[in-house]
Amino acid sequence: MSQLNRLARGGRIDRSRKLSFTFNGKRYQGHAGDTLASALLANGVDIVNRSFKYSRPRGIVAAGAEEPNAVVQLGKTEAGQVPNVRATQQALFDGLEARSTNGWPNVQRDMMSLVGKLGGKFMPPGFYYKTFMAPASMWMTYEKYIRKSAGLGRSPMESDPDIYDHLHQHCDVLVVGAGPAGLAAALAAARSGARVILVDEQEEMGGSLLDTRELLDDKPADQWVAEALKELAGLDNVTLLPRTTANGYHDHHFVTLHERRTEHLAETAPLKDGRRQVRSRMHRVRAGRVVLATGAHERPLVYANNDVPGNLLAGAVSTYVRRYGVVPGKRLVLSTSNDHAYRAALDWLESGHEVVAIADARANPDGELVEQARARGIRILPGSAVIEAKGENRVSGARVAKVDLDGFRVAGAAETLDCDTIASSGGYSPVIHLASHTGGRPTWRDDIFGFVPTLVKGVSAAGGAQGIYATGEVLADGVEAGRQAATEAGFSAASVSLPEVAVRRDGAAVGLFQVPHEKPTLRAPKQFVDLQNDVTAAGIEVATREGFESIEHVKRYTAMGFGTDQGKLGNINGMAIAARLLGRSIPEVGTTVFRPNYTPVTFGAIVGRHCRELFDPERYTAMHQWHVEHGAEFEDVGQWKRPWYFPRKVNGKTETMHEAVARECLAVREAVGILDASTLGKIDIQGPDAREFLGRVYTNKWAKLAPGRVRYGLMCKDDGMVFDDGTTSCLGENHFLMTTTSGGAATVLEWLELWHQTEWPELDVYFTSVTDHWATMTVTGPEARKLMAELTDIDLDKDAFKFMDWREGSVAGVPARVFRISFTGELAYEINVQANYALHVWEKLFAHGEKYGLTPYGTETMHVLRAEKGFIIAGQDTDGSVTPEDLGMQWAVGYDKPFSWIGQRALTRPDTARTDRKQLVGLKPRDAKVVLEEGAQIVFDPNHAIPMPMVGHVTSSYYSPTLDSGFALAVVKGGQQKMGETVYLPMADGQVHEAEIVSPIFLDPKGERQNV
Amino acid sequence: MSNVATFDTRTEAKIPVESPLAYSYRRSGAPAPTGKSRVVLRERPFLGHLILRGGAIVLDEAVRQVLGVSLPGEPQGLVHDADGERSIQWLSPDEWLVIVPGGEEFELENRLRAALGDAHFAISNAGGGQTLVELEGEAARELLMKSVIYDVHPSHFPVGKGVTTVFAKTTVILRRPAEDRWELVVRRSFADYTYRWLLDAGEEYGIGVER
Repeated sequence: MSQLNRLARGGRIDRSRKLSFTFNGKRYQGHAGDTLASALLANGVDIVNRSFKYSRPRGIVAAGAEEPNAVVQLGKTEAGQVPNVRATQQALFDGLEARSTNGWPNVQRDMMSLVGKLGGKFMPPGFYYKTFMAPASMWMTYEKYIRKSAGLGRSPMESDPDIYDHLHQHCDVLVVGAGPAGLAAALAAARSGARVILVDEQEEMGGSLLDTRELLDDKPADQWVAEALKELAGLDNVTLLPRTTANGYHDHHFVTLHERRTEHLAETAPLKDGRRQVRSRMHRVRAGRVVLATGAHERPLVYANNDVPGNLLAGAVSTYVRRYGVVPGKRLVLSTSNDHAYRAALDWLESGHEVVAIADARANPDGELVEQARARGIRILPGSAVIEAKGENRVSGARVAKVDLDGFRVAGAAETLDCDTIASSGGYSPVIHLASHTGGRPTWRDDIFGFVPTLVKGVSAAGGAQGIYATGEVLADGVEAGRQAATEAGFSAASVSLPEVAVRRDGAAVGLFQVPHEKPTLRAPKQFVDLQNDVTAAGIEVATREGFESIEHVKRYTAMGFGTDQGKLGNINGMAIAARLLGRSIPEVGTTVFRPNYTPVTFGAIVGRHCRELFDPERYTAMHQWHVEHGAEFEDVGQWKRPWYFPRKVNGKTETMHEAVARECLAVREAVGILDASTLGKIDIQGPDAREFLGRVYTNKWAKLAPGRVRYGLMCKDDGMVFDDGTTSCLGENHFLMTTTSGGAATVLEWLELWHQTEWPELDVYFTSVTDHWATMTVTGPEARKLMAELTDIDLDKDAFKFMDWREGSVAGVPARVFRISFTGELAYEINVQANYALHVWEKLFAHGEKYGLTPYGTETMHVLRAEKGFIIAGQDTDGSVTPEDLGMQWAVGYDKPFSWIGQRALTRPDTARTDRKQLVGLKPRDAKVVLEEGAQIVFDPNHAIPMPMVGHVTSSYYSPTLDSGFALAVVKGGQQKMGETVYLPMADGQVHEAEIVSPIFLDPKGERQNV
Repeated sequence: MSNVATFDTRTEAKIPVESPLAYSYRRSGAPAPTGKSRVVLRERPFLGHLILRGGAIVLDEAVRQVLGVSLPGEPQGLVHDADGERSIQWLSPDEWLVIVPGGEEFELENRLRAALGDAHFAISNAGGGQTLVELEGEAARELLMKSVIYDVHPSHFPVGKGVTTVFAKTTVILRRPAEDRWELVVRRSFADYTYRWLLDAGEEYGIGVER
């Protein structure tokens, strides 16, 4: 239970608050202010995982988002499981339970380790690449196996109890990162009055200032941080978002932030005021300007066995000592290429532990920090580096040797130093991920041995993110970036006085990436480049030998920078190694593209509230509740919920769809049925040129349609293909009501506006959607007139109110427009009332309709009834390749209209005049019991060798209770000239159906039933 | 404009009416506001809604004469009459939303038609197809930030502004008639989705529904 690596004092943790947690089933204690990683290190936990491919033991390497190894599975309960959490980013809370994601049965004794040792053979470099190439079908098998054996975390098997949401944010200046540069930038922008959002991914804002040795105004740097944050928190125009990662930088300064609101408190969000809290929130920020103050990641050196637990980044060592009061070992060897890393040795020494030696790759290190180390008596080995770590489950020694950097060789005998910790630093890589998301290829700078971001307009980088590392310069750079962003956003610059920072003289760094070994890379112990994906220097060498010269190909061949890691630690080293092997410079090799997301984002935050019953809007008509109460099954039509059919209980048994539809069909044909048709699109068209406009967008004629009359119309796209249909009524000389298909309402309105606004602005006409204003109920069947007569004052006499007339009056006491249009082929009245009255009218119809057998029917019955009459459904019987002529609807085409209507010209093309086009016909199965499959392919000769020429397909197919037979609509090549001929429909199960080509009108071809 | 069929879709008869949210209240409930409610939702059902199409120059004088207010002088403008009961809102360069107390809309339409004479314009009654939902309370703005992509910060969305914008996965007309009050004009068929969304997103603010 003891925290053997915990210092007695120092750090930003609260020693008075003890928190207990478990890791891999074992109980430990830490303190408030710890991360899971710092608490594990405090407890001397060396191995946190097994590696992905070789199953090697791995320990904590870093202290932040760049951690490649300590990726854990969180969760006490099944529903609370969270995969892919970096222990370095997870705040400790009491009762936290975490497990390694890799390793079975446990990380200490791994069953896969034997396989792992053979892993080079089993999963050689290029494994992904090669398995993807051939055979492609094997990938699923491989992947399952890899996941099972290696493990990459797992998702919960139970429903997530937490809630998540999105917040749409807008600001003048978004500052990403609240280290010295970000704080300074935020202050400068905020004081100018700009709306500022400052976002930082850590538990506390302050970045490097939380663990620096430097003083600001002669005071510890965290005091300045506290003052800056206090000022920012007090400003109305500033939003501070700690524990929030800017994960994706999208177009037009749209940045997605992922805020973890309760993950530092408990596994699932605790209640607040008795209410659920949001666990994670996605902020969708539209920023005017963006300042990237994302700092830099230290690069580890690539030496042999650099993955053994106990190998850490130099900066991480400082962070653990100074911020968390944890020394992750007893005896340190530091291997560095630069001055800055010396602070790790100084911090280590000051914590009361031994620094065995510093191996410095430079021949004559001479900066201020070097002098300090020398003055403290630390052994410095110039011109040297750690070439190999010793130990298996923990570092037990470091082999150090002189290295010839230019010749890439070991230049002297190696000395083995006794130590348990190796810290390394190969310099710093500006964190350019977000800038890369915008598409800018970064630029290599030899003076800082790093890539700096290429920025699109409106973005700036400040401080470490563009390779400025001295604290004083970073602060000044931040102020300048903040001021500039605010000025560009239209605010006047405000002054920010910066704290005094002593200027430190640093010696020049050298470029060191892979450290040479006595043996050639392919024979030396493994030198890891990408720890998370187990990519070694040897793997990169194999890739280049096999001819993969583009860095993008090397990446895919080796998997370097894949997955959740996105190459934070390894990418630059990998590129440098590839460059050396290819004899090119690093800028010539270039970098791969970093993609969103910067760190993994929980699905909950991506989904927000758009889940379960709010996943997609459900549109309801005014009669929806009645349908629900009367047991309707619903069908999705666009976003509408339409009654599909109304199953009844007969003798205690609920009807099947087939039974319900048969009953509903017969009710309409023999008595009277009612359909909720409110979903039909309705467009109110007004203006002196309304009639002319209709003549141009419909294929048929509108010049003579008199007020009080209704006409069916077909609409084509300019390619001559049918795209929507419906009836349009002449309400007044300059006034029409157009109906569209339910799914096509918005598209048709846009289509009308498009042609009016871009082609015919001279026509005086306006269009307004009235779809939702009117509720529509279709009363149809031989008894419809009798029922209507009981409820309306409209003269229903067959000569006074004819088929394709409309009248206004009252129905059930409500003002109504009634249209005699029929989609069933029966006598039909479509009643339109203002939707607020609709339920009353609907219920009145039932109160009076019972004696006539009034039967509600749904979309399925509607489909059967209309198909019996050969009425098409645009989008079902047409698919964007069907002309009015293909449908046999020449009667609905005004060939001699004076103005060239949309589609007319296309219909004069030779292709649309072909006689072997697929044409709409009816199909009558030879066996009346057969209901053909919709979509089934049609052939003329079932004995033809495969592949058979396919000549069409079934578009609609049903059983008709009226005909007591299956029947279908289909498109068949030249079908209109093939009446009476037989076609064949070979099915997947080997059956071949036979059908006769017939007229698509199966019932009442003269239309006598609807005209009564 | 002549040759247009005007039609009063409202009746004085005592006929039961259902607002677009009637079903939602029954199905999802309507939590009563408490002292802890940081946001309150209130439907203003059965108002008169007219969509007016026409250019500003064509309409302005008639609107002033008949409605007693000038057309909004700028895009995204919203203007109310003196007692705040009648409003006209810019929707697009030739499209305006007029909202008046329920029952006034048909007479208003007729008077506008008379005043506009032979000019080119259109008036369509939309009263059955949409409803007005008010949001009030200190958390109203944050609730809107969860729901609409449009910037609702006071510096960007002052009183007297109105926009058509994306709301979750649908659209609403969003207006700010007063410092502490927001209005959503919601299409009938999307009203239930919008209501359920607001209840869900407003839960953490203790949303209450005034009826």
